[in-house]
Amino acid sequence: MSASLIELREALLVTPLSAIALTLAAYLAALWVVERIGRPSWCPAVLLAALLVAASLWGLSIDVADYQRGSDWLMLLLGPATVALGVPLYQQLHHIRALWKPLALSLPPAAALASCYSLALAWALGASPEVLASLAPKSVTAPIALGIIDELGGSVPLLMGGLLITGVMATLAVSLLAAPLGIRDHRILGFALGINGHAIGTVRAFEMSATAGAFASLGMSLTGIFTALCLPLAWRLLGL
Amino acid sequence: MIALLRGFLWLTGFWLLGETLVVLLGLPVSAGVVGMLLMTAMLMLRVGRLEDIAAASQPLIGLLAMLIMPGVVGVFFVADDFAGQWLAVAVALVGGTLASVLTTLLLMRRFMPPEPSAAATEEASP
Repeated sequence: MSASLIELREALLVTPLSAIALTLAAYLAALWVVERIGRPSWCPAVLLAALLVAASLWGLSIDVADYQRGSDWLMLLLGPATVALGVPLYQQLHHIRALWKPLALSLPPAAALASCYSLALAWALGASPEVLASLAPKSVTAPIALGIIDELGGSVPLLMGGLLITGVMATLAVSLLAAPLGIRDHRILGFALGINGHAIGTVRAFEMSATAGAFASLGMSLTGIFTALCLPLAWRLLGL
Repeated sequence: MIALLRGFLWLTGFWLLGETLVVLLGLPVSAGVVGMLLMTAMLMLRVGRLEDIAAASQPLIGLLAMLIMPGVVGVFFVADDFAGQWLAVAVALVGGTLASVLTTLLLMRRFMPPEPSAAATEEASP
């Protein structure tokens, strides 16, 4: 009896479908819970879903590497999904045409500083080169950031954790700082959310208004492109 | 359904085109980003059916959070690999993000032209 159970366990671990089913189940469960507790911005569904998967793996004593071999089949779709981001970018080109000057003046320094501040702080506190590489693309939307991390040689799990915390922090920071700075322009608030808080900030911006959402997704795409083009080059030049 | 398949073929094709360029030219950029830029350029040139590509793009973009989730799982299993560095990581993420949000807001406040009146009325009721 137990021998055949072990055999069954082996068979289920071999097929990627187990990992895919676990991923879908955890994500749907997380969406349900997050909806129930009123979608707080400090707890994105991804975070809860990842916790559920981690707890299941731990409970069933499945090696995380086995899970990731299976879920790689799902993450394969990130390639075409990144290309798909070109469609909303195309649909928002009219904003770029209308506001190219303020964009050209503020987006590159903002996107570059989003990375530099964290690198400087981490470096000053003695972080290793691998940690620095993992933190550098922290404000970039995940599918693009995963491509950047391949070039820099950082740790994917650390990057993912950093992305989540950055998104949540950026959302908090924008709502905290907007009033003292006297900024009520939803275009500016949306941009700040998209540039610093990638997809998590963009979701929050769409809750504020359609204008804020459109500018957040534009800020997110442009930051992603700018960082993807410049960061690996800067990394090479610095000899890291 | 066929439109979705056609759109998915476009997306996959552009990813492969991006990968081809990355490999041939030795670009330090991911295939997805190159594919995305080429896709935007193609749509600007009005080549390809936007409806097909949008039919495949919208569900994929909606699923992005789920697609990256398996990558997040790993963070709960690397605690020991980065022992002694978690303070640096936490300070960098929290402090760095606060500083960069502040900089972005100040830069945009400085350079953004006043809103056109149509948008201003919409902003009046947050």
